[in-house]
Amino acid sequence: MAETFPINIWINEERFNALKNAGLAELLKEELAGMKVLIVPCTASQRDKVLELYPMAKFDAATTKSIELLPKAVKDKIYDMVVAKKSLEVMDDFIKSV
Amino acid sequence: MEMIGHGGKPLVEQVITDKDEARKMIKDLKTMPVSRQMATEAIGIAYGFFSPIEGFMKKADVEATCKKMELADGTVWSIPIVYDISDQEIADYKIQQGDKVLLTYDGNPLAIFDIEEIYTYDKESIAQDVYGTKEDKHPGVKRTYAYKDKFLGGKITLVNEPKIREPYTSYFLTPRQHRELFGKKGWQRIVAHQTRNVPHSGHEWLMKHAYIAAHGDLPVEQQETLEGRAISGVLVNCIVGEKRTGDYIDEAIVLCQDELRKSGYFRNDIHMVTMTFWDMRYAGPREAVHHAIIRTNLGLTHHMFGRDHAGVGTYYHSYQAHHLLMSIPKEKLNITPIYVLEWAYCPHCGEVTCVGLCGHHKELQKFSGTKIRSIIMDEVKPTRLIFRPEVFDVVMECSKKYGYGSPFVTTQYLEQAKPAFSIEPL
Ligand SMILES: [Zn+2]
Repeated sequence: MAETFPINIWINEERFNALKNAGLAELLKEELAGMKVLIVPCTASQRDKVLELYPMAKFDAATTKSIELLPKAVKDKIYDMVVAKKSLEVMDDFIKSV
Repeated sequence: MEMIGHGGKPLVEQVITDKDEARKMIKDLKTMPVSRQMATEAIGIAYGFFSPIEGFMKKADVEATCKKMELADGTVWSIPIVYDISDQEIADYKIQQGDKVLLTYDGNPLAIFDIEEIYTYDKESIAQDVYGTKEDKHPGVKRTYAYKDKFLGGKITLVNEPKIREPYTSYFLTPRQHRELFGKKGWQRIVAHQTRNVPHSGHEWLMKHAYIAAHGDLPVEQQETLEGRAISGVLVNCIVGEKRTGDYIDEAIVLCQDELRKSGYFRNDIHMVTMTFWDMRYAGPREAVHHAIIRTNLGLTHHMFGRDHAGVGTYYHSYQAHHLLMSIPKEKLNITPIYVLEWAYCPHCGEVTCVGLCGHHKELQKFSGTKIRSIIMDEVKPTRLIFRPEVFDVVMECSKKYGYGSPFVTTQYLEQAKPAFSIEPL
């Protein structure tokens, strides 16, 4: 599998229930004593585009190997797209929509 | 009673508390405005946070600090505390060796500076000796290269004490006040937790680990019931000073650390939060030594050091600070280091555990600062094993109240947040 540069979207209980009801709970991973996280993969070029669009964000190459510090509103939008599409492959659509 | 500070020397206290006397002392002095950075350090010097130094360092002390990690008199010292000035300013303010100058901050009198020496020092050699690198990507090196043409050395006397703004007011104690309070509490051993973080439970366990280690062979039965009284304690000493974007805001650091006590994760009689004004230099091992010196002056007996203490990027090894501290002869540093390993969540153990104790290394989920920040930014309440819900509520509150909607430093915070102290008219 090609290397991905994911965006981690942490999921609260309300969203967890919504995802479960939509049959999407299997998209989630568990971390840190049961916290749920939606890991949305990006390719290298999607990553670069995201970092260009949101200069406050950073790719954390050292520890998490993910795109971090994206504003909540941005992640909310990505989350909504995942739910609507019932798939994690949303980054192209997302970038086009910005 | 005389208080003894770092190096076995009397605690420095150069503060004029009598306002009439202060006004008399500054009459007719020429004045020179100082930046927040210099004001912070003048205040630190005068209260004795940096005992035994009595002023901004002279060349011989800077030289010894850089080359031997000592002051000129042989006392262990790791970071130069210097006052930089441009040639233009020296001309504008007509500064000469032997002058007594009144430093002002925000237009008000702050401190008398006895200018005993005007000198130059090679900045690259400071960078190499103190930070181990000449790369200006290193924030401490960058700060060093930004020093102006010359340095002024000499004694500092505070003539006007700072006013500490809310929410910091009750958290700022001078070294003397720290010691008086420890005396009242009856703490015989006190371990420092150096922080510029909002605590997750990994930090909480580091403190518990250090507390238990420091308490060591002291009796325990006084603490068996809540009515008892602890004879040792944890002092969380938050570093408040220059910020970088993405850091936690200082208000959140101080208030969240204190929330651990308020919500009972630590007993009232065991845990205390205060702050020290200091601009982080990110000097890793040398900064660890500096932190040990400050906490010795606060009257602490022990100091916790974890991995990557005060480091930045990949300039230092995870335990390089431990190695440097171990190399200092015991009689030269009057505080006992407590070295701690990381704590992490182990799903197998079902708890937060020390990575040096748990045998399920493949399953361990480490606390990454970035990950925790990402969770907080998403405004998702973490599980209580990882991050205390009360602390989370305080972070969110601070974000609204002090952080312009973010618990992390933003450009807006850098531009608009007021410094933690002000200097009022005398
Ligand atoms: Zn385990």
